Amino acid sequence: MAYSERIKNFEKIRAYMREFYVYGFKSRTEYDKKSARSYDDERRRLESWLGDDMRFAQTAEGKKVFLSIDSRTAQPNPLYKAWKSKSFTDGDIVLHFILLDLLYDPEIRMTLAQLVQEMDKYLGAFEHPLTFDESTVRKKLKEYAQEGIICMEKEGRKTFYRRMPDTELSNMTDAIDFFSEAAPCGVVGSYLQDNLDQHASIFSFKHHYITQTMDSEVLAMLFDAMCQKRYVLVDNLGKRANEVKTLRLVPLKIYISAQNGRQNLLAFHEKANRLNAYRLDYMSKVRLEEPCEQFDALRAALAKAEPHMWGVNGRWSTKYLERVEFDVKISDEETYIVHRLEREKRCGRVERLDAHHYRYTAEVFDTNEMLPWIRTFLSRITRLHFSNRTAENKFKADLQAMYRLYGIDGGEGL
Amino acid sequence: MIFSELYSVYYHTVAKILARAAQSHATEQEFQQLVMETAFSESALTILPALKSGRWPLLGKDFSPILRHPPTMPLTMLEKRWLKSIAEDPRMRLFCTPPPILDDVEPLFTRADYKIYDQYADGDPFEDETYIAHFHLIREAIRTKSPVKITMTNRYGREIRVRFFPKGFEYSEKDDKIRILASGCRYRYFNLARVTSCFYYHGHGPWREETPEVQNREVLLEIVDERNALERVMMHFAHFEKRAEKVDNHRYLLRIRYDQPDETELVIRILSFGPFVKVLEPASFVALIRERLIAQKGCELR
Repeated sequence: MAYSERIKNFEKIRAYMREFYVYGFKSRTEYDKKSARSYDDERRRLESWLGDDMRFAQTAEGKKVFLSIDSRTAQPNPLYKAWKSKSFTDGDIVLHFILLDLLYDPEIRMTLAQLVQEMDKYLGAFEHPLTFDESTVRKKLKEYAQEGIICMEKEGRKTFYRRMPDTELSNMTDAIDFFSEAAPCGVVGSYLQDNLDQHASIFSFKHHYITQTMDSEVLAMLFDAMCQKRYVLVDNLGKRANEVKTLRLVPLKIYISAQNGRQNLLAFHEKANRLNAYRLDYMSKVRLEEPCEQFDALRAALAKAEPHMWGVNGRWSTKYLERVEFDVKISDEETYIVHRLEREKRCGRVERLDAHHYRYTAEVFDTNEMLPWIRTFLSRITRLHFSNRTAENKFKADLQAMYRLYGIDGGEGL
Repeated sequence: MIFSELYSVYYHTVAKILARAAQSHATEQEFQQLVMETAFSESALTILPALKSGRWPLLGKDFSPILRHPPTMPLTMLEKRWLKSIAEDPRMRLFCTPPPILDDVEPLFTRADYKIYDQYADGDPFEDETYIAHFHLIREAIRTKSPVKITMTNRYGREIRVRFFPKGFEYSEKDDKIRILASGCRYRYFNLARVTSCFYYHGHGPWREETPEVQNREVLLEIVDERNALERVMMHFAHFEKRAEKVDNHRYLLRIRYDQPDETELVIRILSFGPFVKVLEPASFVALIRERLIAQKGCELR
């Protein structure tokens, strides 16, 4: 098939965008060897969409393509462009503009036959006029009714079509600019921005993980499933086995990280009777299934578990929790460390031991999830006590390895 | 649901061309300009040829539109549902604009559907009237390029008065805070929540003080891919301008560009990865890591 910058299916480009943006060290030959042409097409598309954000590096292994974007200065999120590349037929675009022109005002209502007849008047003047049969137009109208831009009204045996009223958004410019970057499924805000008068946003964003953009469709489908309290079927890439399995889940809540950009679905896996976390970037093809009668009860059970979840790992029962305790020392000028403990702790408590020592204590499902955070206090940790002894030993062994890495404690270091 | 041609740059660009064509004396050059401004870099190869050849019979030979009105499209249900969701976000109070009435629309998501689980707990008071009033005054000052004078409590608890030109706002989801970006004074930004009073400044300066330029620096990391460190590191630092290289199947190099004022934050973020990330360059950054580790060793943790 000839190359086109428009695409029908987002999945393939989603995988390439992730590779180029998150990693960016593979050469052409390291991608699937059977589909070198596919690689070339996807790279060309991304170049067309993202322009200067695409970078190239020539190395001994070949040319490497990567996306280098400082999301603090790149506004609006450049990855939104990929969502605006959906392919369509010549008939689709022509029908779109003529139908909405015929139904210009919400007061106008027309039957299918009237619409088809009127359309011929638009197209008749052309040398080789396009023609649309009733079934094609009916299908498009039905599609637009599902999208919410056309409404269908039955009167006896007749169906009338009319457009939905316009919505005034001119006073929402700043709010849409803000939430298109700061709310889930921000790409929808970007669609709205496209219809606003051109303007420069007054907002920029720090610690901004635009990586999440690629998973917008999965996220929207999961939200929809939660709204309707339904089961879903979802294809999930298991990282350990590196194979895709279809899972049947009850989606309960999306856990979003502001510190690494990962998005996880917390869901009930009925077959295993477990509360599990699934990465959205490993998921695809979310299909809504039947309603789940237990949805509210499952959410309530999750709410009971949440105070003991540091990250995304949790269980239904809080019977077996792990206790985490560590002490830090601070000098008179370092009260900001106490503030750090207070504002960064997600559960547990901070207590003052004496003028220069504070203790953090928590009971959590998974101590291992806390280790990276505890390491951010290195230089002042005076005591550690984890009920999970394996985790404590791991923390201490890692610390010894860090000393060696930097030539402290007799290691070779630098 | 989200991936639809209704939102494509093609539909959007053609709508702009047809709207321009509805006015008088439209030229091909103007259409080309619209394609360049609105669509992708290779879209020019498709859009105008399709319109001119009659493959998309929406323009006459003289570029007159066949449509009877400038093209418009109502909001889709997805857009309305998203708007309904943001209308229920507490941060919406900042904007003081009544969102469109969407009584018959289900929100796409509510606060019960998601949680930002690692956001800091001392976020800004987005629903506080004084905070909102300061945001509005500064927003107007940004628009009108007017100077303001503020009184604020700095991080040491001292009250300071500053006048400056506000240039924009910067929001951090991690901190859940808004900062005012400033020029014409010696500070680059102020935390909006620390402002205790805020007025337009009607004086004439002087504006001698230069806002310091941000120093852009680079750090080189070596990643050892154990315990899934490669993926964790690459995701964690994804928001920086960066470049990665593979050394062998086990080791990778990552160059990150960062703003100098964020150096301490970057030090602790790197420390959080333990022995799987080692700073190679510059020596000054290595020294910052070593300093912390030496201090930790002195804590005699057993």
